[in-house]
Amino acid sequence: MSAPVALEVQGLTRTYGEGAAGVVALAGIDLAFRRGTFTAVMGPSGSGKSTFLTCAAGLDRPTSGRVLIGGEDVTDWDEERRTTLRRERIGFVFQGFHLLPYLSAEQNIGLPRRLAGKRPDRARVRALLERVGLADRAHHLPGSLSGGQQQRVALARALVTDPDVVLADEPTGALDSATARQVLGMLRASVTDLGQTVVMVTHDPVAASYADEVVFLVDGRVAGRMAEPTADAVAGQMAHLDDLVVAR
Amino acid sequence: MSAGTTTLAWRSLRHRPLGATATFLAVLLGTALIGSFATLVETSFTAADADTGNLVVMGAVVGGWGALIVLFSVASTVGITTTQRAAEIGLLRTIGATPRQARRLIAREAAGVAVLGAVLGALVAAGTGRLLFALLQSGGMVSDATRYDAGRASVGAAALLVLLAAGVAAAVAARRATRGPAGVLVRDSVAEQGRMRWWRVAIAVLLIGYGLGMAVITITVTAHDKDPYAAMSTSGSSSILVGVGLAVLAPVLLRWCATPVRLLSGASSSASAHLASYNTTRRAHLLSGVLAPVIVLTAAAAGTLLLVDIDTRSVPAGTPDSDTINLLNNVVVAMIALFAAIMVVNAFVATVAHRRTELERLRLLGATPRQVRGSVVAEAAVVALIGVGLGLLAALTTVVPFAIARHEGVVPDGGLWLVPAVVAAVAAVTLGSARGAVRSAVR
Repeated sequence: MSAPVALEVQGLTRTYGEGAAGVVALAGIDLAFRRGTFTAVMGPSGSGKSTFLTCAAGLDRPTSGRVLIGGEDVTDWDEERRTTLRRERIGFVFQGFHLLPYLSAEQNIGLPRRLAGKRPDRARVRALLERVGLADRAHHLPGSLSGGQQQRVALARALVTDPDVVLADEPTGALDSATARQVLGMLRASVTDLGQTVVMVTHDPVAASYADEVVFLVDGRVAGRMAEPTADAVAGQMAHLDDLVVAR
Repeated sequence: MSAGTTTLAWRSLRHRPLGATATFLAVLLGTALIGSFATLVETSFTAADADTGNLVVMGAVVGGWGALIVLFSVASTVGITTTQRAAEIGLLRTIGATPRQARRLIAREAAGVAVLGAVLGALVAAGTGRLLFALLQSGGMVSDATRYDAGRASVGAAALLVLLAAGVAAAVAARRATRGPAGVLVRDSVAEQGRMRWWRVAIAVLLIGYGLGMAVITITVTAHDKDPYAAMSTSGSSSILVGVGLAVLAPVLLRWCATPVRLLSGASSSASAHLASYNTTRRAHLLSGVLAPVIVLTAAAAGTLLLVDIDTRSVPAGTPDSDTINLLNNVVVAMIALFAAIMVVNAFVATVAHRRTELERLRLLGATPRQVRGSVVAEAAVVALIGVGLGLLAALTTVVPFAIARHEGVVPDGGLWLVPAVVAAVAAVTLGSARGAVRSAVR
C-alpha cells in the first residue's frame, strides 16, 4: 500500500513572454510526490527546476496544468487563499535563508504561526530548536549565527506548521560542504523520523544523494529518474543528460 | 579609473531613482528656502536705513533657523540613502574596490544629484526671494524706498552651504560604510546595537544644554526686562534647539522608548504588531531616520505656535514690532513644518525601499499584503507616539519659560487646544507617509 500523494503537478507548463519570443520554462510536467518521501529535482541551469518550484508553491501561476496539494487542486485559488496555503501547508527552505534580521531564532521559527494569527506553540518551537541542535541559540538574532545555523533555523521554521510538503530551493547552495552535510542530514531526518515530505531543487550530486529519488529535468521536461541515488551515480548521470534526452 | 568610477556612479544612480529623488528634493527645497532668505540680507546692504534692521532680522535670524533645519534634513537624507547601501558597497569591495574607490563612488553620486538640486533650487530662490520681498513690502514691513537688490551672491552662497552640508554628510556616511574589512557587509543588515559616536553625543548635549540654558535665562533674567520681546528672543529658539538635539540622539531614544511600547503591545497576538515592535527596538538605526524629523516637527510646531499664542494674548495692544515678529514666527513654523514633513515622507520612502526584499520575504512565508502593510504602519505608529512625546517635551522648554515671563504661570492661560491639533497633524503625516510608501512597495 502506498502513502497518499502530498504534492502533484499535472501537465504543468509555464511560458514567459508571448509568441515567437516566448521562452518555455516548463513544457508539460507530470510528477507526484508521496507523503514521507524525499525527492531531489535536478537539471542544468535553465532546465526549469526553479520555475517548477515557484509554480508548485503557488508563487507563480502556471500557463497550463494543475497543481494539487494534499489532493486539493489549488491552481485557480486567488492570491489570498494561496497566501494562507503557503503559510499553513507548505514549508520553505531557501538558498539565502530568508530569516528576518530583527527576530530571534525562536521568533523566526514561530513566525508562520504568528502570521496565521495564532500564538506560536512554545513547546513545539523548543522541540524543533533542539531537533536542529540550536536549543542554546534560541534568543540569538540571525546576524550572530553562522550560515549553517541560520539555515537550520530556516529548516525548523519550515517544519513548525507540520506542512503537507517542504519545498527546498538549493538549501545548501550558500554553505560549505561540512555544514551542508549537517543541514542535509536534518532534512533527511525530518523525512525518516517525522514522516515529512521534502522536494528539493539542487544541482549538487552530494545533496541529491540524501534523497530517496532524483528526478532529472532537461529543457522543461522530465528526462529521467533515479531511485536510491549515490553522489557518483548522480554526477555521472548529470554529465550525460543529453543521452537521457536522446533516449526519450 | 576615475572615469570608471564616474560611469559606475551614473549607472548606479539610474538604478536607484528613489533614493536619488529624496536627496534631490531635499537639496532643491533647502537651497530654495535658504536662498530666498539670503536675498533679503543681500538687499539690506543697499536698503533705506529704516528697513535695514527688518531685512537683516528677517533674513539672517529666520533664515538662520531655517538653515539649521534644512541642513539637518539634507544631511540626514543623504546619510539615510548612503547607509542603506552598505550591502552593495560590501559587494563592490569583495570584488576588489578599495575603500577609497567605494567612497569616491558614493561621493560622485551624491555630488551629481546634489549639484543638480542646488542649481535648480538657486533658480527657484531667485524667484521666491523676490516674492518674499514683495510680500514684506505690501505688508508694510519694508518701505517703498527700498528696492529688491540681490542675486548671484546670496543665492549662490545658499547653494554652496547646502552642497557643503550634503557633502559632509555623504563623506561621514561613506566612511562609516567602508570602515572594516571587505565583505563583512554582504549580510543582512544586522540588528545593529552599535553605540553612538562620541561627536554625535557631544553635538546633542551641546544643543540640548544650550536650549535649556536659554530657558533658564528667560525665567531668571529676560523675564524682568522692560522689552516684552526680550523674553521671546531668549526662549523662542529653545524648543527647536532641544528638539534637534533629541533628534540627533534618535537611534538610542527609539531603542529605549520602544521597549516599554513593546511590552505594552505584548498582549496583542497580531502578527503586524509583533513584527513592528521588534523591528523598532532591534533596528532602531533604520527607523531613527523617521523619528528625528517627527521630533523636530512636533517640537518646533508646538513650541512656536504656543509662543505666538501667549504673545498675542499677553500684549493685546501690541508694540510697533508685534506684526513683524508674529509674521516671522509663523513663517518659521510653516517653513520648519514643511521641511520636517518632507523629511518624514522621504525617510519612509527610503526605509521601505530599502526593506523591499525583506517585505517580499514575509510575503513568501505566507504573510498577506495586509499584514505586511500593517506591520509597517504599526512601526510608524510607534515612531509617531515616541516622536510626539519627545517633541512635546522639547516644546516645554520654550512654552514654560515664556509663559512664566508673561506672568501666565507654568501652564499658559489658553491655546492649549494647539497641542492636540499639532499631535493630530504630526500623526497624520507620519502614518500617511508610511501607508503611501508601503502601498506602492507591497501590492
